[in-house]
Amino acid sequence: MSVSPAEPRSVKPRTARPDLDPRGPRFGAAITAVLLLVVVFLSLTGASVAALLLLAGLAGLFAWGAFAGAGRHPYGIVFKKLVRPRLAPPAALENPAPPTFAQGVGLVVTLVGVVLGVAGIDPAVGVAAAAAFVAAFLNAVFDYCLGCQLYLLLLRAGALGGAGRAEAGR
Amino acid sequence: MNPIPALSLLLALVAGATVLGLLWRARQGRTAPVRADAPLTPADVGSPVSFGALGTLLQFSTDHCARCPGTHALLTRLAESRPGVAHVDIDITHRRDLANRFGIMQTPTTLILDETGRVRARIGGAPNRAGILEHLDDLTGSAHVRLAR
Repeated sequence: MSVSPAEPRSVKPRTARPDLDPRGPRFGAAITAVLLLVVVFLSLTGASVAALLLLAGLAGLFAWGAFAGAGRHPYGIVFKKLVRPRLAPPAALENPAPPTFAQGVGLVVTLVGVVLGVAGIDPAVGVAAAAAFVAAFLNAVFDYCLGCQLYLLLLRAGALGGAGRAEAGR
Repeated sequence: MNPIPALSLLLALVAGATVLGLLWRARQGRTAPVRADAPLTPADVGSPVSFGALGTLLQFSTDHCARCPGTHALLTRLAESRPGVAHVDIDITHRRDLANRFGIMQTPTTLILDETGRVRARIGGAPNRAGILEHLDDLTGSAHVRLAR
């Protein structure tokens, strides 16, 4: 277990200890992006049932990451066991809250596709997979944190938590 | 749909996502000058520590922000290497009023304040080290000249 160095100038107490290698979620996002691309392909070629089943499986994995935490995601375990020992130590560790929030975003998008697909709207499976692919691809290739952005936008819109609303009433 | 047009659509999807990523990356960390407005005080942003005598790196962060800790470490090091420059990190997770007041659409967002507390530059995303140093040179250099007069 690494300990972050003391930062005497810090004026912001961190609620969660940073303990996640930031390359772990990117590794997972790369696998997810490839599988989402397969879903889009299956959906486009008319293999609706296979596309729906694979997307449901991916939604399950997103749910695992969102509820158990990004560090306990199956891909995260593969990363820890097989990939991380071959890499140099990370420049900095990360708070697991942001990637966990992003997993929740992925869960919502893929779940909408699965529900619409079960309801008989087959193209929705491909569309949801394509949307989730863009997010996973940006995460894996460009290290772009969609979860951070959405969190802040929701906070500004007053959609998250009572604290935001209380502050807005000042 | 046949596999060939389907594969073409997949390629278009990957290309589109790549263009989005490149556009995003080109805008990240750039130090954009801001026209000086009314000076800020530490109380304006709920900061318990005072601003720097020559300049301040004012960072806005949230809990759900992957790049904020790295930016915090970078800005702390930069401030320590420049006497008179302070680094202040404000957690706006529960400060919607501050996010609205400063129009913060992403974290980290960093404002560079001059010695009077006026905003001189704005950086969205993880900052570019060279860009900040260049701006601090301008700022502390001009402040030294004024103080020497």
